[in-house]
Amino acid sequence: MSNFLLAQLTTPNADVTLILPEIVVALAGIVVMLYDSFFPKQKAVSGAIGMLGILISAVLLVLMWGDSYSGSAWSGMIAHDNLRLSFGLVFLMIAAMTILASTLWVDIEGVPTGEFHALLLFATFGMMMMAAGNDLVVIFLGLETSSIATYVMAGLRKGDLRSNESALKYFVLGSFASAFLLYGMALVYGATGTTNIPLIAASVGAAKFPALLLIGSAMMIVGFGFKVALAPFHVWTPDVYEGAPAPITGFMAAGPKAAAFSSFLRVFVLGFPLVAGAQAAGILHETWISLLAVLGIITILFGNVAAILQNNIKRMLAYSSIAHAGYATVGFVGAGLAKTATERNEAIAAVAFYLFVYAITNLGAFAIVSLLGQRNDRRADFEDYNGIGFKAPLLSFSLSVFMLSLLGMPLTAGFIGKVLVFRPALESGNVLLVALVVVAVIGSAISAYYYLRLLVVMFFRERAVDWTPPRVPSALMTAIAAAVVAVLYFGLFSNGLIRKFSNAAPKAADVRAER
Amino acid sequence: MDLIKENLLTILILLPTVGAIAAIAYKAVTKDDSSQRWFALIITTLNFLISLLMFTRGVPAVGGFEFEQNVPWIPAIHTNYHVGVDGLSFWLVLLTTFIMPLSVLCAWTAVEKKKTAFFAFLLLLESAMLGVFVTLDLLVFYLFFEASLIPMFFLIGVWGGKNRIYAAVKFFIFTAVGSLLMLVAIISLYYIYAGAVQGSGSFDFVEILAAMQSGKLVLGSQAGMLLFFAFALSFAIKVPIFPVHTWLPDAHTEAPTAGSVILAAILLKMGTYGLMRFNFAFFPDQARETAWIFITLAVIGIIYGALVAMVQPDWKRLIAYTSVAHMGFVVLGMFSFTELGMQGAVYQMLNHGVSTGALFILVGFAYERRHTREISEYGGLANVMPNYAAIFIITTMSSIGLPFLNGFVGEFLIMVGMFKSNILNVTASTNWNYVAAMAAGIGVILAAVYLLWLVQRVFFGKVTNPENKKLTDLNAREIGLMIPLLIAMVVMGVYPRPFLERTDRAIKTIEARVMKSAGGAVEKTELDTKALENR
Repeated sequence: MSNFLLAQLTTPNADVTLILPEIVVALAGIVVMLYDSFFPKQKAVSGAIGMLGILISAVLLVLMWGDSYSGSAWSGMIAHDNLRLSFGLVFLMIAAMTILASTLWVDIEGVPTGEFHALLLFATFGMMMMAAGNDLVVIFLGLETSSIATYVMAGLRKGDLRSNESALKYFVLGSFASAFLLYGMALVYGATGTTNIPLIAASVGAAKFPALLLIGSAMMIVGFGFKVALAPFHVWTPDVYEGAPAPITGFMAAGPKAAAFSSFLRVFVLGFPLVAGAQAAGILHETWISLLAVLGIITILFGNVAAILQNNIKRMLAYSSIAHAGYATVGFVGAGLAKTATERNEAIAAVAFYLFVYAITNLGAFAIVSLLGQRNDRRADFEDYNGIGFKAPLLSFSLSVFMLSLLGMPLTAGFIGKVLVFRPALESGNVLLVALVVVAVIGSAISAYYYLRLLVVMFFRERAVDWTPPRVPSALMTAIAAAVVAVLYFGLFSNGLIRKFSNAAPKAADVRAER
Repeated sequence: MDLIKENLLTILILLPTVGAIAAIAYKAVTKDDSSQRWFALIITTLNFLISLLMFTRGVPAVGGFEFEQNVPWIPAIHTNYHVGVDGLSFWLVLLTTFIMPLSVLCAWTAVEKKKTAFFAFLLLLESAMLGVFVTLDLLVFYLFFEASLIPMFFLIGVWGGKNRIYAAVKFFIFTAVGSLLMLVAIISLYYIYAGAVQGSGSFDFVEILAAMQSGKLVLGSQAGMLLFFAFALSFAIKVPIFPVHTWLPDAHTEAPTAGSVILAAILLKMGTYGLMRFNFAFFPDQARETAWIFITLAVIGIIYGALVAMVQPDWKRLIAYTSVAHMGFVVLGMFSFTELGMQGAVYQMLNHGVSTGALFILVGFAYERRHTREISEYGGLANVMPNYAAIFIITTMSSIGLPFLNGFVGEFLIMVGMFKSNILNVTASTNWNYVAAMAAGIGVILAAVYLLWLVQRVFFGKVTNPENKKLTDLNAREIGLMIPLLIAMVVMGVYPRPFLERTDRAIKTIEARVMKSAGGAVEKTELDTKALENR
C-alpha cells in the first residue's frame, strides 16, 4: 500500500525546460487567440505577439545548443539533438517569414488576422513537436496538430472556390495519408513492442515479426511520402498549392514539408539502422534505402518535367517544390548509409541546411508572387511578369536571386545546399545513390529552363500594357530583404551554420532511452 | 605596393565586382545612366595595369604557382579559396584584363538602353572569368565557372539581337548541363581522395595532383574514365568541340558586340584551359587513350566550321563559325601531346582571343552604322571607309595565319606538333598523325577562302547600295581601341619567344605527365635546368 502511494507521489519526470521553446510558441498562439477574441478588429498586434513568441523560442533553442542536458524527462519521449534543434530553427524562421510576408494579403483580403496567426503558431508548434518527438506517438500528435491547422489555413480565402477546393482536397488526402502513417506505426509497434525510436532501433535486429516491420515501414513511407510530396504521392500538391493564398502556399511548401522530413529522418535513419549481424534489420535497411532512392529518382524527374509545362508561377513553384523534396531525399538516403555517427550527423545537417535554404528562398519568392499577384492571386501567370524587370528593379532582382538559388547557381545558398546533400550520397559509393545524384543534377539542368523562364520574361521581354510597380509594405520588404540577404550570405559564408547544424548537444534522449 | 602584390589575384577578381556595385549605387543615387561607362573603363584599365604586376615575378617551379593565396572558405567541407598563376594561366589572365577595357570601349556608344546594368554585367563577368583562370580549388573553380554564365546570359538576353531569348537560354542550358556533371565528378574526386589518404577529402587541385603523382591515389580505369568524361564534357561544350557547338553560332550572333568579343576572346578559353589544367593533369592515361576521339572531332570541327562559315549570308555568324574552326585547332594541338603542339595550342588560344575579338569589334562598327549584318547589304566599303578596310584586312590576315602575324605562329606550331606526334596509330600504309595534320592544313586553306571571299564581297568593287555611300570612316575612339589589338597581332607574330617562354615549363610538365606517366612524377631537376638554359 505504502509502495503504491509512493509511486503515486513521485513527481513525474516532466522537465519543462526541455520543451520550453515549443511551449513558448504554443502559449503565443493561445495569447493571440484570447487577445483576438477581445479585440477582434486588431491587425498588427497578433502578428507582433506571434513574432515575439517566435523570437523567444528561437533564443531558447539557440541556448539549448551544446548544453549537456542529461535529465530523464518525458520518459525519453523528447529528443535533444542536432536534428531537433536545427529543424526547430528552420520552422521558427518559416513562421516568422510567413507572418511578415502575409501582412499585405491579410490587409487587402480582410482575412481574420487573429485566427490566422493563431493557426500559424499552432502549426509551428506541431512541426516543432514532430522534430522533437523521439517517440512515434509524439511524432503523430505533432503531425496532426500541424496538419489540422494547415488544412484550415489553406481554406482561409472563404469566398474563393479554388481556396475551398484546396482546403478540402488537402484535408481528405492528408487524413488518408495520416491513416497510413498511423497504421504503419501500429505495425512497427507490433513487431518491436515499443514506440520509442531508440528502442525500436535497438530491437529491429531481433524483431519478432520481420514481415510486420517491413509492411509497417512501407506504410510509413507512404504516409511521410505524402507529407513531403514524393512522387507518386504528390498528386495533391499542384491543386492545393495553386488554390491556397500565396503566403500560405509558401508556408505549406516549406514548413509541413520540412517538418515531415525531420520525423521521416528520425524514424528511418535513427529508427531503422543497419544492425551488424541481424538479417531482418539488414533487409529492412536495404529495402527502405533502395525504395527511397527510387522514389527520389521518380520525384526529381517528374517534378522537374512537370514544372516545365506550367504557365502559372504558383503551379510552377508547386512542381518545383516536388523536385526539391527529391533533392532533399538525396541527402536523406545518404544519411541512411552513413558509416559513422559523425557522418550521419553531417548528412542530417545537410538535409536541414538544404531545407532551411529552400524554405527561405521559397518564402521570399512567394512573398513577391503574392505582392505582384494582387487580390486572389489573379496575376500569377508568366505573362503577367513580362518586362517588369527594369521597372521594378529591386523586386525583380530579388526574385532572380531566389530563382537562381532554387536552380543551385554558385554564390547563392542553394548551391551550397545542393553540394551538401550530394556529398553524403556520393560518399557512400553505392551505385544506386550515385545514379540518384546523377539524376539530381540532370534534374537541376532541366530546372534551369523554368527558373530562367521567369528571368527571361522579367528582363528580356517588353511590357505590352502599362504597369506601375506596387508599393511594398514595410513588413513585406523586411521579409524579402531578409531572404535575399540570407540567400547571398549563406552562399558565401555558410560555414558557421553548417557547423552549428551538424554538432549540437550530446544525444541525451538516446542515452536515457538506452538505460 | 607589396600589399597589392601579395593580394594581386584577389584584387584582380574583386575590383571589377566592387566597380559594378559602385556603378549601380551611383545610378541609384543620381539617376544618371550615362557615366557608368567611365566607371567600367577606369576599373577595367586599372585591372589591366594591376595585372601587369604579374611580370614582377618569374616563372614558378614545376608544379608551383606564383601569387599564391590559400585561405579556408568553408572549413566544414574542406574547401579553400586557393588561387595562383602558373605558365598556363598567366597569359590567359593577361588576355582577359587586356580585352576587357577594349570591349568596354567598343560598347561605348553601341549600348543605348539600360547602360548601367550593361556595364555592371561586363564587370561582374570579368570577375568571374578571372576567377576561373586562377582558382586552384575545384569547388571554387566550379563556382566561378558557373557564375560566369549569369552575366553573359543577361548580356545576350537583354541587349542582344532579334533572336536573343532563344540564344541566351540555349547558351545557358548547354553550358549548365555539362558543368553539373562536373560537379558530381568534383565531389566524387573529393571522396576518392579521402579514401586514398585515409583522411578528410580535398577539393584542392595541388593536393589531389600530389596524391596522384605520389601513387597514393590510383583511379580505377572505369572510375577514371567516367570522371574524365564528366570533366571533359563540360569543357568540350565550352570550347566548343564539334557536336556540342550548336549554342555558339546563336549566342555569338545574337550577343551585343561587347558580348561576342568576350565570348570569343575569353569565355571559350575556359574550356580549353580546363581540359589542359584538369583533364590532362588528373587523368593522363584517359587523355591519352581518348586522344583519337578528340583529334577526330577537332579535325571535323576545323573543316565543318570552315565549310559552314563559307556559306553564311550573315557576317557575324560567319565569324562565329570561324571560332568553331579555330578552337578545333587548339584542341588538335592540345591532344597531339607534343611540346610544340601544346605550346601552339596555348599560343593559338591567345591569338584567337586577339584576332577573333578584333573581328567581332570590327563587325560591330559596321553594324552600328548600318544596323544590318547581311553581307549582301554591303560592298565596296573600301571606297568610303578606307581606314576601316585597312584594319579589317590586317585582322583577317592575322586570322588566316599569314606569316609575321600572330595566327601563323600558333597554327604552324600546332601542325608541326601534330606531325611529330605519335599519339595516333601508325600502320604500315598510313601514319594517322600525318593525316590529322594534313586535314587540319586543309582547314587553313579553307579559312583563307572564306575570309578573303568575305573581304572581297564587303570591301571591294563599287559601292552598289546607296545607303553605303554616306558611311563615315572610323572615329578616333574606334581607331584608338583597335591599335592595341593590331600591335598585339604584330608583336605576337614577330617575336613569340617571351610568350612561349612563360608557358614552356607548365606545358612540359603536362606533356611529361601525360606521355610518361602511369601516375609517375616528372623529373624535376631535368626540366628545371632546361628551363633555366632557355632563359
